[in-house]
Order: sequence, then C-alpha cells, then structure tokens
Amino acid sequence: MFKLNFIIALRNLWKNKTASLINISGLAIGLASCLLLLLYVSYEWNFDKQAKDAKDIYRVLVKFDGTNGEIRGVGYSTPNTIGPALKETYSSVKAMSRLDDEQPRLIANGRKSFKKTGRFADADILKIFDYHFIAGDQKTALDAPNNVILTASMAKMLFGTTDVLNKSVRFEDKVNLKITGVIEDLPENTSIKLDYLMPWTLFEGMYEWVKRPMWTNNNWSTFVKMAPSSDIESLNHRIKGIIKEHVSDATSSPFLYQFSKLHLYGKFTGGENTGGRIEQLRLFMGLAIGILLIACINFMNMATAKSEKRAKEVGIKKTIGATRGSLISQFLIESLVLTLGSAVMAIVLVEVFLPLFNNLLGIKMGINYANPYLWISLIAIVISTGIIAGSYPAFYLSSFNPLQVLKKRNPGRKFWSVSLRQVLVVVQFSFAVILIISTAVIYKQIQYLKDRPVGYEVNDLVELAQDGQLEGKFELLKQRLLQSGAVSSICQLSGTMSNNNSNFWGLEWPGSTETDRHMVFNQLSTTYDFAKTTGIKVVEGRDFSRQFPSDTAAVMLSQSAVKVMNLVHPIGTIVKYQGNDCTVVGVFEDFIWGAPFEKEEPLIVAFNKYWSGYVTMRPNPAHPMSENLAVMEKIIKDINPAYPVEFKFIDQLYGEKIKSQKILGLLSNVFGGLAIFISCLGLFGLAAYSAEQRTKEIGVRKVLGASLSSLMQLLSLNFLKMVALAIIIAIPVANYVMNNWLKTFVFHTTISWVMIILAALATIAIAMITVSYQAYKAAKANPVDALKYE
Amino acid sequence: MITLQNIEKYYAAKGLKSYILRHVTTTINQGEFVSIMGPSGAGKSTLLNILGMLEEPTYGTYEFMGEDVTSMNERKRIELYRNHIGFVFQAYHLIDEMTVAENIEAPLLYKKIGSSERKSRVADMLDRFNIVGKKDLFPNQLSGGQQQLVGIARALAAQPSIILADEPTGNLQSAQALQIMDLFKKLNEEENITVIQVTHSELNASYGSRILHLLDGVIKEDVSVLS
Repeated sequence: MFKLNFIIALRNLWKNKTASLINISGLAIGLASCLLLLLYVSYEWNFDKQAKDAKDIYRVLVKFDGTNGEIRGVGYSTPNTIGPALKETYSSVKAMSRLDDEQPRLIANGRKSFKKTGRFADADILKIFDYHFIAGDQKTALDAPNNVILTASMAKMLFGTTDVLNKSVRFEDKVNLKITGVIEDLPENTSIKLDYLMPWTLFEGMYEWVKRPMWTNNNWSTFVKMAPSSDIESLNHRIKGIIKEHVSDATSSPFLYQFSKLHLYGKFTGGENTGGRIEQLRLFMGLAIGILLIACINFMNMATAKSEKRAKEVGIKKTIGATRGSLISQFLIESLVLTLGSAVMAIVLVEVFLPLFNNLLGIKMGINYANPYLWISLIAIVISTGIIAGSYPAFYLSSFNPLQVLKKRNPGRKFWSVSLRQVLVVVQFSFAVILIISTAVIYKQIQYLKDRPVGYEVNDLVELAQDGQLEGKFELLKQRLLQSGAVSSICQLSGTMSNNNSNFWGLEWPGSTETDRHMVFNQLSTTYDFAKTTGIKVVEGRDFSRQFPSDTAAVMLSQSAVKVMNLVHPIGTIVKYQGNDCTVVGVFEDFIWGAPFEKEEPLIVAFNKYWSGYVTMRPNPAHPMSENLAVMEKIIKDINPAYPVEFKFIDQLYGEKIKSQKILGLLSNVFGGLAIFISCLGLFGLAAYSAEQRTKEIGVRKVLGASLSSLMQLLSLNFLKMVALAIIIAIPVANYVMNNWLKTFVFHTTISWVMIILAALATIAIAMITVSYQAYKAAKANPVDALKYE
Repeated sequence: MITLQNIEKYYAAKGLKSYILRHVTTTINQGEFVSIMGPSGAGKSTLLNILGMLEEPTYGTYEFMGEDVTSMNERKRIELYRNHIGFVFQAYHLIDEMTVAENIEAPLLYKKIGSSERKSRVADMLDRFNIVGKKDLFPNQLSGGQQQLVGIARALAAQPSIILADEPTGNLQSAQALQIMDLFKKLNEEENITVIQVTHSELNASYGSRILHLLDGVIKEDVSVLS
C-alpha cells in the first residue's frame, strides 16, 4: 500500500509538472530561506558559548552614576585593579584575567612582519576560555613575561607551519618572544578575537602606566570564572562599593554579567539589561517562520486547488473500500514526499547561496554536517512542514462524500473551504506587503543616516596608526609628506576620527557646580592643523596655530559642549581640563563621532603632543589617489621601516557604523523579495487552477458572446480583491511595527504615504501580472474544447 | 439478501418536499439479476445509490444481509463495501493515475490481502477478461469498452456477493455493450453473484431475471423475465 501510494504520488508529480515545480520550488525556497535565517540565528545564538563552562564565565562591567543619583550608563571597560581584588577576596572566583583592547600590533619573524590582533592577558585566561592547544602546555604557556601563544593561522602566516614551539618572534620591534603554545583558530562567533596572546606581565613590563594600580581609569576588560552555581546576585551586591572604597568621589560600581549573555543581551538602560541584539534575532526568527509559513500556505492552496481532480480518486477509493484514515495517510505521504524533495533542494540552495550570504553579512558560517542537532532539527522541520502543509488537503480531501464527487457535483463549493483558501492568500500577501513596506522604511532610514551631514569632510580622508617611529618623528613625517605634495594636510589625533573612543568627567569651568563636574565629555587630543585636515567647521575663534605659542595649553569645544557648559562668550574662557588650565580658542560645529543615529555627546578637543595614536591625512586632491598613496607609503616606510603601512579610509570606517542596520535592511530586502516571489508562485498556481475549474463557465460565456477583456476581468477580479484586502490589513501593521523600530533611533526618518502607496501599487501590479497570464490563457481557449466533455 | 421497507427520499426546499422515492418496498434475493428501469428522473440512480449505501434514505429501513444499514456507522459500511459490494459505473471511474493492474489490485489492498494472493487474483482477473496485454496501460490509453471491462474486473477482484451497476453500458457502442451484458449474465449464472443494474435499454434488461419499473419514485411494476 505504502509503495503504491508512493508511486502514485510520484506519478501525480510527473503528470502535473508545472504545478509540482511551483510546489516543490516554492517550498524549497521557503525552506532554504528558513534554514539560512536559522543558521544565522544559531550562529548569533552560540556567540561566546564555545567554552565548556561558558555559563560560569562572567565579565566585569561598570555602572556609572549620573548627576542625579540615577545610573547614567554601563561600561564594558574596567580599571586594572578590580580583577586582582576580586580574586584575592572571594574564593568563589576561580580564575581572573584582564584583557586589553583589540588592536592590530606588529609581530615579525625576521623580515616577515604583520600587524595582527595581539592581546595581553593574565595567565588565568587559559583557565577561563579553554583554547584548544595544538602544541604547548596550557598550564604554563603564559607564565613567563616573554612568552607568546599563536593561533594556527598566525603561526602559518609567520612560519608556514604550526610546528613552531620554542621559536622566537619579535613583537612591536621591541622585544623577542618565545612561542610557548599554538592554539586552534578561534571560532568566528566569539567576541574575543585574537591572533596571538601575550602575558599581562609583559604588558606591565613594557608600559609603566599599565602596572600602576588605578581605580577610576577604565581601560581594560576583566573576565572571571566562577565556581559552579555561585550566587552571583549576592556577590554583585558585595562588590558594588569596591571602587568607591578606594576613591571617595568615584562614580562607578562594578558588577558581574554572564559573558555568554552579553552578545545578545548587551543593551543597558538605567543599569538594567533591556535587550540588545536578541531583538534583531527574534525578528529574524519571525521572518524565518513567516517565510516557511508562506511556503506552506502555497502548498496547501495548491493541494486543495487540485482537489476536484483528486476528489474523483477519493470517491472511487471510498467505494472500493478505502477508509478515511488510509486516505489521510495517503495524502500525508504525498505531502511528505514533496517536502522531502524540497528539503533536498533546499539544502542544495543553502550550500549554493551560503557563501553569498556570508559575504553579504561579512561573517563566516558553515554547515556542520556532523552535528546531530542539525539533522534532528532538519528532520523536525521537514516532518512538521510536511504535516502542516499536508494536513489541510489530507483532512479536507478525505472528507469528500463519494456520491457527490462521482455525480460530478462540485465538491469544492462548500463555503468554508473556499473562504479558508482566500484567508490563506490574504495572510500570505499581508505578510509580503508588510515586508515590502518594512524594507522600504529600513532603506529610507539607512539612506537618512547616510545622508546626515557628518560635520567634516569624510571622503578622501586617510588615517594610519601612529606606530613605532611615527610617534617620535611625527614632525619629520609631516614635513616630508607635505613637501612631496602627496598630502595637502596632516594632523595627529589621539584616536580615530571614525569612532568616538574616549570620554572623561571632571571638567571645570567658570560657573560650573559640583554636579557639573560629573558631566561626561568626549575627548580628543591633537596638535596643529586639525580643522584644516579633517574639515570640521570652526564657527567661532580658530584652530590651534603655531602663531600662538600659548596654544600648547588650549582647547576647542563643540557647539553642544558650549551649550551644556552655558558659556555665553566661550572664546578666551579658561577651563580646567585634566588638571591643567586651558584657554578655549575655538568652537566648532558638532560632527558625528559616535553612532549616526544617536545624539552627539559634548566634545572637547585639546592640544596635547604626547597623547597620540593616529596620523590623519588629507591626500592632495590635485593628484590621483593611487599616486598619492604610493608616495605616502614610500615616505612612511622610509621613516618607520619595521611596520607595514596600512591606510584606512575614514569614509569606509564611517560606513561600518550602520552595519547592523545595513544587515537588517539587506536581510529584509532579500527575504522580503523571496516572500513575495513565493506568494506569487502560489497565486500563479491558484489562478491556473481557478481558470481550469471555470473552463466550462468560460466556454459557455464565450459562446454567449463574452469579450476577452470581460473574461479576463472575471478571472482576475477575485484575486485582486484578496490582494487589496491584504494591503489594507498590512498597512497599519507595517506602520505600527516600523514606527516602533524608528523610535529606537534618536535621529530617524518618517514613514511617508508615498512609500506605502508605491508599495501597495507594486504589490497589485505584481499580483496582476501573475494572475492575468493565466486569465488570458483561459480566456483565449477554444470554447468547444471546454464544452464537448459534458 | 436485501430488504427495503417503505423507503422514502425527498429534498425539502422552501418548505416543499420534492420526492425522489416514495414507499419503495421490495426484497431482492441472493442470485437475482435485477434491472431497474424507468424514464429520466424516476429515481433509478437514487435507488441504486441507496442500495449501494452511497446515499441515505430519508425514511424507511434497509436491511442488507440481515443487518440494518440505516443505523450503521461509516466504518461498518466500509466493511460491507470491501467484502460484499462491487460497483460498476457508467463513466467507469477508474483511477487515472493507476495502471490497469493497479486499478484491479486497489480494492484488495484496502481489504489487506497478502501480496501473493493479490498477485494471483489480479493475474486471474486479467486472464479472465483477456486484458493481460494491457495490464501496464493507463485508463486513458484504453477504449471505453476496455475501460468498463477493467471496471468490472476491479469490482470482481474483491469477490463481492453483489454487483451494483449504474448504466454500465451507457457510454459504450452496442457491440461492446452486448459483451458486457453477456459477462454479467455469466457471472450471475455461474458464480451466483447478485447483479442489480440501472438501465434504459429493454435489451439490457432482458438479460436479467427481474425488472423493477420506477415512475416518479414509485415502483409501478415488478416483473419477472422469462428466459
């Protein structure tokens, strides 16, 4: 029986090739989209969960008090003293490691030198994150200051092999390190990226200020591994005041937060977690389920649409002794066969499009076929899809009364069955329209953010980390670059122009109160030619200048800084910045230093020769960029031979800031398009069926003299009504959802009616094209063919 | 074998009852060959459908082999289909997606008959109806007469005790029709299978042993055919 049903299922597929193709490919696309999205969801979901005891790993975060007793914010950086203090005081802290920021640092094997992410950490880090050692001893690898652990790919890059234990590399052109361990490359979905790892003791040995215990200088990450099932809440309660005990006027209090949760639940408001990336992830999960549902709806619609043909079969089978159960199982088997076929096709599709998808999102995901969970969930998806998609036809078709069917009374005319099909189409298209509108809104918002005036000349601005000799020989570099004509202006900056990277509190100015002192300002330090190079707009006063020797103790303020400081005549005001009296010489328009959708914090730009990190250059627009860069590279290499020259373009870095919005836009674009495509496939099938079902009616009408256009209207109108209804349902939903989304941005665009109307028209047009092809075909057919069968 | 007691069938529309069958009372014994005749709209097919349990009478009792069908549940009815009743339709009603052999095999599958037994019965049927060469063809590759032969073969495969035929030769040319009627007669005489057919043709009716004449839902005449 099973075998026969199976064979008949295949014959049915073959007989209705177009319908089967629509069915299988629609479902396959739906399944593939669903799988891709779920793959992405699981990628994000498993972020930082690789360690064996991931749930016991905590990161120390810091809450900052606001001026009125509220919690102003939560920071990820901690002072260097908290970790050791925690480990010393509490026995439940099993391991502790500090970790410095992720930044490229020079590592070399002879003349082979690379700037890769090298990080400093306490030896305990090897107990916290169980890195997989290919060579070396996990227990002792970071014990001596001059040790280094390389990842496998780093080792291959430097030596061409991973067999490098006890070999020596040169770090930052300053010290030689002995390789005491080689670890497997870290998985892509970890937030602690590194190419090589060095002991904290080396860090302290190289920089005196790292060693100095400081309680309010939040520079490093701190991780701890707790004993299993420790009471974190009470521990958090006890460590709350630890900083304030040491520094009486400190405003920060540390707390432990589960590290594996941080990636998804990393947004804090008022010191409490208020979600984070998980929201986007939920959105994607909804999208995945929605698309699968659309595909399932197609499937059901197509199957029930074919019901008249199948009804005869049901009737005959019932008269020769088939029970309802055997018919239900037959239809379910058919649907499972189809789903299985679709699943195979879906896996192929996923494999084909995964690299493209990875490329779009800028991540590296792969399918691990050895993972049993993959198979379990895949089989679960296939079976549940098969059953969901097949259940309606199975139960509906099997309920036919044989007599009615065989007497050729139309079985499909039960009111509810027709209307259910219509409901499904409406649901499908509502979803599709919501996606179209959302995509348009997201696109508009991204455009809006991109088009927000940056506040400086972001294009053709190049920066370079100020490594090695570039710091001491900056003046020489400046002179030679300007002389060469490749660069029209150059300045040094404490941080990159592309992203805010430093803030402080404690600024004093005439009229400032005690609470004002706790106000947080962003800070940036520079020397000469800051405004000239970057192109910020100085609205009052001037840029730092050599003509005024006193400028070595001067600052410039952003307009919002002037506003919060309540300065009427800012120029000439003396402010106390980092303990020194400085004169305000200029006021500039706010520029976007942080996220382009958030309000800019007040910024103070100080003149400080000794706090530098980046060389920012404006290549000469008179020459082609490539020529400029070649000349610049040559000069820089000449001055600083130990380091590779890696130029960064500020506009590219700036573009990175709206990456997560871009990903959202991209995904909703792609999957919104797919949702519409699948919906249209379904509509196409339904239209074909409806035309076929009404062949006789059309024949009669034609004989009676109906025109082609009136017939087409007759056939298309019902579908257009459904699509129109879907649009009416979708608009308020989309409006509500997208308005909420937009509200998460301080700077946001609005939803325009033009956009909604365009989306509606586009949907109608697509649906119209889909349906009218079938309507035309049916209306053109010869009426005799339709009528002679009766 | 079949006892009908005061069977009525009507459709109520807007308070008016339109009768299809009225006061139908009759008994059909095992081994009879009954033809139901009458003009269009007389209720012939409805009567046959009620006999075949495809339709329920509005009123009256119907006993099939001593069991009251009107109060039977669906499962029980299906049991009866499987074991006792073979249907033959005017439009053949073969399953288009199945080959000739599979069509004949289908009722046996539902009866849960073992594979070797099925094979031998199907082979037997193909043999008997001289359609061995067509066993792998699909219905639409056969002529009407051949399709009806397959239809009858399918009905017989389950070894029913009664065959219900609704104008079995209605769509056939006369030569083919004769062949089918001969077949029915043979089955009736040699295997003692009860046959009940609905027909317009006097000629077809003459093959049977008894004729029920229906007019406007009422049995007007119940005559035996003298052979």
